[in-house]
Amino acid sequence: MNVVKIAWRNVWRNKRRSGVTIAAMTLALLVEVLYSGLVVGYMDGMERDLLDLEIGDVQIHANDYLERPSIYSAIESPNALITQIEAQGFMAAPRQLAGALAAGEESSAGVALRGIVVELEAKVSSIGTAVAEGEWLDPNDPQGVVLGRRLARTLAVKPGDELVLLTQAYDGSMAHDLFSVRGILKGIADGTDRSAVLMTEGSFRQLMEFPEAAHQIIVRRPEGSDLDATAAVLRGIAPELDVKTWKELMPLVASMFESTRGMIVVIFLVVYLAIAILVLNAMLMAVFERVREFGILKAIGFGPFRVFGLIVIEAGIQTAVALVVGLLLALPGMWYLSRYGIDVGTLGGLSVMGLAMPPVWNGIYTLDTIAVPIFLLILIVLIAVLYPALKAALIEPVKAMHHQ
Amino acid sequence: MNAPNGPVVELKEITKIYSQGEIDVHALNGLDLTIRRGEFVALCGPSGSGKTTALNLIGALDKPTSGEVWLEGERLSTLSRQQLSHLRRDRIGFVFQAFNLIPVLTAYENAESVLALQGCPATERRDRVMSLLTEVGLKGMEDRRPHELSGGQQQRVAIVRAIASEPAVVLADEPTANVDSETADKLIEIMAQLNQDRGITFIFSTHDTRVMERARRLIRLVDGRISSDSSTAAT
Repeated sequence: MNVVKIAWRNVWRNKRRSGVTIAAMTLALLVEVLYSGLVVGYMDGMERDLLDLEIGDVQIHANDYLERPSIYSAIESPNALITQIEAQGFMAAPRQLAGALAAGEESSAGVALRGIVVELEAKVSSIGTAVAEGEWLDPNDPQGVVLGRRLARTLAVKPGDELVLLTQAYDGSMAHDLFSVRGILKGIADGTDRSAVLMTEGSFRQLMEFPEAAHQIIVRRPEGSDLDATAAVLRGIAPELDVKTWKELMPLVASMFESTRGMIVVIFLVVYLAIAILVLNAMLMAVFERVREFGILKAIGFGPFRVFGLIVIEAGIQTAVALVVGLLLALPGMWYLSRYGIDVGTLGGLSVMGLAMPPVWNGIYTLDTIAVPIFLLILIVLIAVLYPALKAALIEPVKAMHHQ
Repeated sequence: MNAPNGPVVELKEITKIYSQGEIDVHALNGLDLTIRRGEFVALCGPSGSGKTTALNLIGALDKPTSGEVWLEGERLSTLSRQQLSHLRRDRIGFVFQAFNLIPVLTAYENAESVLALQGCPATERRDRVMSLLTEVGLKGMEDRRPHELSGGQQQRVAIVRAIASEPAVVLADEPTANVDSETADKLIEIMAQLNQDRGITFIFSTHDTRVMERARRLIRLVDGRISSDSSTAAT
């Protein structure tokens, strides 16, 4: 006997109840799929911005630099090391770092100088595209600097304004020079926003009397390659240097990304718990209404497994309809959110754990983001239907047939 | 055990006690009964005499408090829940007072349900069921759902369902109770004819004198025991 046919007809016997159950499952799935893609998109966006604009995948420093940052803790001959790194299929760029005092026309602030090789930096970072006002660094404009957003506000400067930098040079002398603000970055991360002054490597070396060395080498790996494996290769190339992945450099942020992704599943389960209760109630009603019928089925030879299967298939049909309808309804939403996203620029550049929130939240809809809510819905329905299905399967035929 | 006139059903010292609160109701009290293949038997007696209980035990729908039920030599107490389902599917046909068709299935689908459960091929199923539906006067009504059929028509579908798989025994619990007298006569005639033509064993539980008159063996139960057991010539 075709149990699926009986189950299908049973589902549509009580159209209102089945309709409400399917509608609830559909709505839950729709919300979960869209929400899941948005959160993944948001977290991926933040992670991508963090790596692209700020820290790269892996950083290499002199051994004691991270514990005691000093202009003298530098990597000698960085170009030779970069050549070796690039030979392994990675991209790398050097940065020179130092502290200084910056003065605008009316105010001053402590700043973090960052000297970069413009052409190489473009291979490891998209910070050159993150200029909100003015222009990015130009090797032909050695006196031009780019400032973090909040620093520019603190110093009350805008593109074209002059800026005096004062610091202690590598040789111990007092270094100072007059620069011109070329550009102001958009919000990237608290540290950069508050204190970054970016300049060309040539300007940095000239100002600081700095030799051919670097404090930091930023490394990017090819798409899809493993982070830890990349770090292991780099440690092999530079065993005497301090090689750290971004997760080791920012463990709290890395853990926040992981835990937020985990939270999605928790939120799924909370929403689906309500659905589970609804399914449990609907299926229990369906079983109690048909106790006598189960008695007949058992009398004519339906075994407990077949009765169990009948109830599970009935729930399965409702879930399948909800999946199809839910995904069809989600398609336009997924298209819109992945293409246009949600504009949160009006929130004024909020930050989370020091990372600027992307101004537009774009959803990312992959097989993974869609499969998890689908899988969880199926799982939760299966769990919810267990009790009614067991109840029906274990009904004593003689009692069931006398049930009023 | 499967000899032409061998026993199909044997009940040995059956007692069945139902607990209703603090009171124990003795539905059957040491019932011994043997029914042979091809018999057309009516169990009669007053309400509460144990007729339906006896049918439920024979049909493996219920278990006795003590004693043993044998069906075609198989001791039912040794079978698991799943094995009992298979036994009901393969060897027993049921006709109930309230028709008890599956409401979401058509007359044809209800009638073929047991055969389908047995895994009988679709073509053979169709041939057998259509032939029986024609035999009981339901040709042309096979696509109707139970609610589109009269009580008598529903009971005829139930009879076809019960006999389509050619079970060892058909158990009919008050099959004429919910139909008018004309329909009841027709139903009894159909079952008597099937008994005669196909040799199917029928066991009825009934108050209906027309069924008792057509039965070739009449067993009267009183207080869960056989008070009389008489055989008559076939009519």
